[in-house]
Amino acid sequence: MKIRRLLRILHRDLGYFIVGMTIVYSLSGIFLNHRHDFNPDYKIDIVDFQTEIRSDTEVDESMLKRILEELDKSIVFKKHYITNQGNIKIFIENGEVVINPATGNGTMNYLQRRPVIFEMNKLHKASIGTLWKWTSDGMAVILLFVAVSGLFLLKGKRGFGRWGWWWTIAGIIVPLFFAILYI
Amino acid sequence: MKRIALFALIAAISFSCGSQKSQKENSGENSEKAAVVYSVDELYANASDLVGKEVTVKGTVMHVCKQGGGRCFLMGSNEDFNIRIEAGEKIGAFSQEQMGSDLTITGIFKEVKTEADAHNPAREHGGEAHVHDEEAEEAHRIIIQAEEKTETVYFMEGLTIVKEDI
Repeated sequence: MKIRRLLRILHRDLGYFIVGMTIVYSLSGIFLNHRHDFNPDYKIDIVDFQTEIRSDTEVDESMLKRILEELDKSIVFKKHYITNQGNIKIFIENGEVVINPATGNGTMNYLQRRPVIFEMNKLHKASIGTLWKWTSDGMAVILLFVAVSGLFLLKGKRGFGRWGWWWTIAGIIVPLFFAILYI
Repeated sequence: MKRIALFALIAAISFSCGSQKSQKENSGENSEKAAVVYSVDELYANASDLVGKEVTVKGTVMHVCKQGGGRCFLMGSNEDFNIRIEAGEKIGAFSQEQMGSDLTITGIFKEVKTEADAHNPAREHGGEAHVHDEEAEEAHRIIIQAEEKTETVYFMEGLTIVKEDI
């Protein structure tokens, strides 16, 4: 079998195979790129509220649970403690609440996972264990093969030698420019 | 080609099931081996004897790194007693949902000796302006204050989460 024909078959089939992974890494890559602009994994809702707690109020778990229930019945209390600054910090499922006993002001930070994107980000960051680390390495090698093999598929006027190499050089110059300038 | 792809998929699933089973078995073995569970306060009280050793500590998760969950901080009796746990490859990552949960974690108890070992939020999360996150800033302030009060700073390289109490 000629090499070019084999390359075309492998490029085609492995290309189909790697589409899913490429979409995962591309989409999550965009979110992770903007991790300093917004939280890529969670949507954070911040709710300010007022309580009747004051500095001399004796605070206990049942009182705090009642306050949280009045705020939203779905909030699940985990535990609470008094911080070094004297604030009441309450851990809830998917978030936390801080109440200033001097003023009674409270703030709740409630986290919601970004569906699908959260999972994609975990895969991208390879933070789910050793097996995925090696699996994703293998997928990366396949993607590398698909990319490089694509250079040699076409012959003639639009082949790599007469046409493609311009585009390839341009594609390398863009990241090289930023690397030289900023790294 | 289809047969190869199908075979690869079946192999990956079988390997994954086997790996999960062995991870659970390892977790069970670790929980039997590390019979002594220290609180964060006890860990610090015995720090000089435990440095470099595999220990099991139980504490309340007071902060999880928002940039990927690569580390968390377990709190003891109060905020001043907290220990950084690096998730590493074995644990993978901590999740924000674990905030406020009591985690029992086995890991290697270490002393911060180099800049690389130290917790540096600016280095890890980027020094550029980012989303204003009061909770993270407050947590980092508490952690830095606690570190400044001690002569020696310790952390743990997490190996396995033995138990999680929500």
